[in-house]
Amino acid sequence: MLESKIKVVNPLGLHARAAAQLVRLASGFKSRIKLRRIDNAVIADAKSILSVLTLAASKGTRLKLEVEGEDEQEALQAVEEIFVNGFDEI
Amino acid sequence: MPSSKENESPKISVADFVEKSFAKLGIEVLAGKKGLHKKQIASKRIQKFGLALAGFTHYINEGRIQIVGQSEISYLSQLESAKRIEAINNLDLEKICCILITKKLVPPEELLNIADERNLPILRTAQVSSNAISYISSFLLETLAPQITLHGVLIGMYELGVLLLGESGIGKSECALDLIARGHRLVADDAVLIKKLGENLEGFSPELTRGHLEIRGLGIINVRDLFGVSAVASCKKIELCIEFQKWQDVLEVERLGLDRQEKEIFGVKITKYILPVSAGRNLSTLVETAVRVHLLKVAGFDAAQKLIAKHSAIVGGQ
Repeated sequence: MLESKIKVVNPLGLHARAAAQLVRLASGFKSRIKLRRIDNAVIADAKSILSVLTLAASKGTRLKLEVEGEDEQEALQAVEEIFVNGFDEI
Repeated sequence: MPSSKENESPKISVADFVEKSFAKLGIEVLAGKKGLHKKQIASKRIQKFGLALAGFTHYINEGRIQIVGQSEISYLSQLESAKRIEAINNLDLEKICCILITKKLVPPEELLNIADERNLPILRTAQVSSNAISYISSFLLETLAPQITLHGVLIGMYELGVLLLGESGIGKSECALDLIARGHRLVADDAVLIKKLGENLEGFSPELTRGHLEIRGLGIINVRDLFGVSAVASCKKIELCIEFQKWQDVLEVERLGLDRQEKEIFGVKITKYILPVSAGRNLSTLVETAVRVHLLKVAGFDAAQKLIAKHSAIVGGQ
């Protein structure tokens, strides 16, 4: 399993359309991809839209990304990238 | 993409018109029988000769039924024979598809002779002009409506016409059978005839296949015989389109339900949902739910929007 720490940087936070973008990206990988809020215990499956929405992650929220599976390296990289790029909103 | 045959401007032969409107107009053919099959009615508007008989023939439009009533007959009958022939020959007879005489009036001999020579059908009805015109207008509006045949299934669900599209073998007919078993009504399977009437799309089944469904493994079945008369419907206004796609072919699966997709037929836009198909997804339940979602949205309730508004308030408010 790979882990990494990420931060929501886009001004609107992980809003609905960004969440949908993330879910679509995550669904393309075979690995299990999880997002865990660092400040509380909420864990979300990155392939489920309702789950990602329950994170209610606004700008500045810190998350832990956990990826496990045969394509974990690529998956981790892709998800990190989409967060760093602020979902192409910045 | 579904295969389609589009026919923007249908026509009807004069012979067809005479036959199909016989019950209402009781048309008899007085002259020009040879032109019955050759001459085509191409416009849903009718015309009256009026001033054209007096030589002002610029406005005679091709493909329209020309109605001849009392005033035209009276005008012709007060002319001398030679003038009468001149007036009739002046009419640009090639452009005219047929002449309908109303009120069982007796046309001058000259008109019948010329019509026989030129193979121009002269028809007659006992109806008065105003009645004949209103009937013919609505008859032609329907008959000459732009129409298209799409490969798909049309089902009547909760008073909506729901068009199911998708490539052959994806399970449209099987889904239709499932929906029929749940009390919905089959309009057309495999070939759906769609006509644009006014701003609406009406869907029908071609006469031959009406009430039939082809199920792989069973062959052609008669839905009316098997499920009863309430399992079929003759036509439905199409208000929703559901397209089945193989899971791997779907480029972007809708996850939020915020964006509305549309299908356009003859410039009329209807809501479209794309449902990915794979083993374990119960299509008929999905279709039924899609229709319910649509009905709820039309009534002003949008679950996705509501939840996301709530979510934005939380995310944006921190």
